[in-house]
Amino acid sequence: MSSNYQAKIDGLENVARHIRRNVWRALHGAGSGHMGGSSSAADILAALYFHHLNLRPDDPDWSDRDRFVLSKGHANAALGATLAQAGYIDDSVLDQFYAYQSSFGMHPDIKMAGVEMSTGGLGHGLSVGIGMALGARMQAKDFRTCVMIGDGELQEGSNWEGAMAAAHLGLSNLTVILDYNKIQQSGHVGQMLDLEPVLDKWAAFGWAVREIDGHNMSAVVEALDALPFAAAAPSLIIAHTIKGKGVSFAEDSFLWHNNAVTDEVYEQALSELGEPS
Amino acid sequence: MTSTTDKAGQPKSETPEWEIKAAKQSRLAFGLAVAELARRDEKVAAISADTIDLFGLRPFLEASPERLIEAGIAEQNAMGIAAGMATTGMRPIICGYAPFITTRSLEQLRNDVAYANQRVVIGAACGGIVLAMAGGTHHAVEDLAIMRNMPNMTVIVPADARQTWHAAMATEQLDGPCYIRLGGKFDEPDVTELDADFRIGRADQLRNGDDITVIACGALVAPAVATSQALAHDGIGVRVLNMHTIKPLDRDAVLAAAVETGAIVTAEEHRVTGGLGGAVAELLATEQPTPMRMIGMPDEFAIVGPTAQVREHYAMGEGAITDACRDLMR
Repeated sequence: MSSNYQAKIDGLENVARHIRRNVWRALHGAGSGHMGGSSSAADILAALYFHHLNLRPDDPDWSDRDRFVLSKGHANAALGATLAQAGYIDDSVLDQFYAYQSSFGMHPDIKMAGVEMSTGGLGHGLSVGIGMALGARMQAKDFRTCVMIGDGELQEGSNWEGAMAAAHLGLSNLTVILDYNKIQQSGHVGQMLDLEPVLDKWAAFGWAVREIDGHNMSAVVEALDALPFAAAAPSLIIAHTIKGKGVSFAEDSFLWHNNAVTDEVYEQALSELGEPS
Repeated sequence: MTSTTDKAGQPKSETPEWEIKAAKQSRLAFGLAVAELARRDEKVAAISADTIDLFGLRPFLEASPERLIEAGIAEQNAMGIAAGMATTGMRPIICGYAPFITTRSLEQLRNDVAYANQRVVIGAACGGIVLAMAGGTHHAVEDLAIMRNMPNMTVIVPADARQTWHAAMATEQLDGPCYIRLGGKFDEPDVTELDADFRIGRADQLRNGDDITVIACGALVAPAVATSQALAHDGIGVRVLNMHTIKPLDRDAVLAAAVETGAIVTAEEHRVTGGLGGAVAELLATEQPTPMRMIGMPDEFAIVGPTAQVREHYAMGEGAITDACRDLMR
């Protein structure tokens, strides 16, 4: 492994630490929020925005940009933190989470620079991503579309309409990343409405699927670098993650799907996450 | 139909091809307009929800297969695809069944299309009780109320196949989503001129009159005109407004009618709540309180039967419009 590569991985891990700290900062400012699913997605978002996606943050409407849709819109704190880190929005916006007339609400708003679609109602992002991938194909453009979905979200039937269509249409320019943190609002996904065998289901629908540890930055980067996984099929990355990753008391707990963030909790979280370099 | 000769001396029909092919059915006129819009603009694409033949799109599919996306019987996905496609600069036109493309895909329509304010045109065939024989699952008599409550949405109910063509063409200029309600697989009487000027948001005054006004849309425009013609024999001047655009409502035409005729009857193939009648009543209640009668479906699911008889059953026709006018004139 070259030192350059290791420096890249270290740098992305540092970005992820920034994102997680800013998620807690936004939630602390707002008083509460979706900490669990924002933190589970942080490493993947860092790799997407600082390694994989072809973007121009100073020209957010650049027509050939890669598209990213956060279908699990309740993780918007993480998306906002990522967009601020990438330079789409001013850092001060992170202190406006849930604020009066803010562009930074609980869920992504297409009016914010860098946000490709207003999301929040679950089970929408995949179909929207299919439309974007078709838009690329029909206009002979090379941009790629990536959609991040949540595990609980996969209980929405519309995803399966989209899964069927994307494979039927052979959209190799479309990637879905499943943030599989195993927990939804009221409990463990496996107990609420189990997705398993989720890999087999998507493979049976015609997707090219890989499974990774969504907190192992090397594994995330290697999977993104290997896209598309097949020449004429859409790709799915099943990223096994931990809800609330990075802060001991919030990890793997449905209580932290959406919870209050007091001063004390905030200080403790920052202390556990550590200072970024 | 009159004929002249073109420059080469060949006989030339003045009737456009679309008028002949549409066969007086708005769903087919819309499908022909989709093909014409796609011919003019390479960013226009059709999205079918297993509706290729319902919209007469097979010739378009054969000529331009890459411009028609078949989403299958999956309206939620079709609506989301349209929104995503529109964000990339494409001009998607969804061709769906009115009862399904409204309520089955309603959250996608609200969030992805209306909330995100994307340029998506929704053609909705078999609106109202066109499929009366199919039962309540296949009726769309709440679609206008739903669509009218979507910010950013333009809502159009063409009065006939000709107006459908012009309305579809007019969507070229729109910078937001648009819902166009269409008819089914039977002929609709012509009530507009072949080359009538069409402007979104501007009502057509089809009949002049100063005693009372009937504001109608879609299938109820022809009966409204018939009412006006019949009552003219009794010396009653019934103004008829073809309110083809439910939203944005032509406020000026409604308020002028209220002031100048003093009484309003609305007529629509839709529940009387929330559609054209509702829109007119909301405006008049605040701006120009005026005696009204509202023709349309009551608060119930419609019975099964042939469309003409079911329309009659719910008093959506000339007789009811005429009675309402006489009642208000008393």
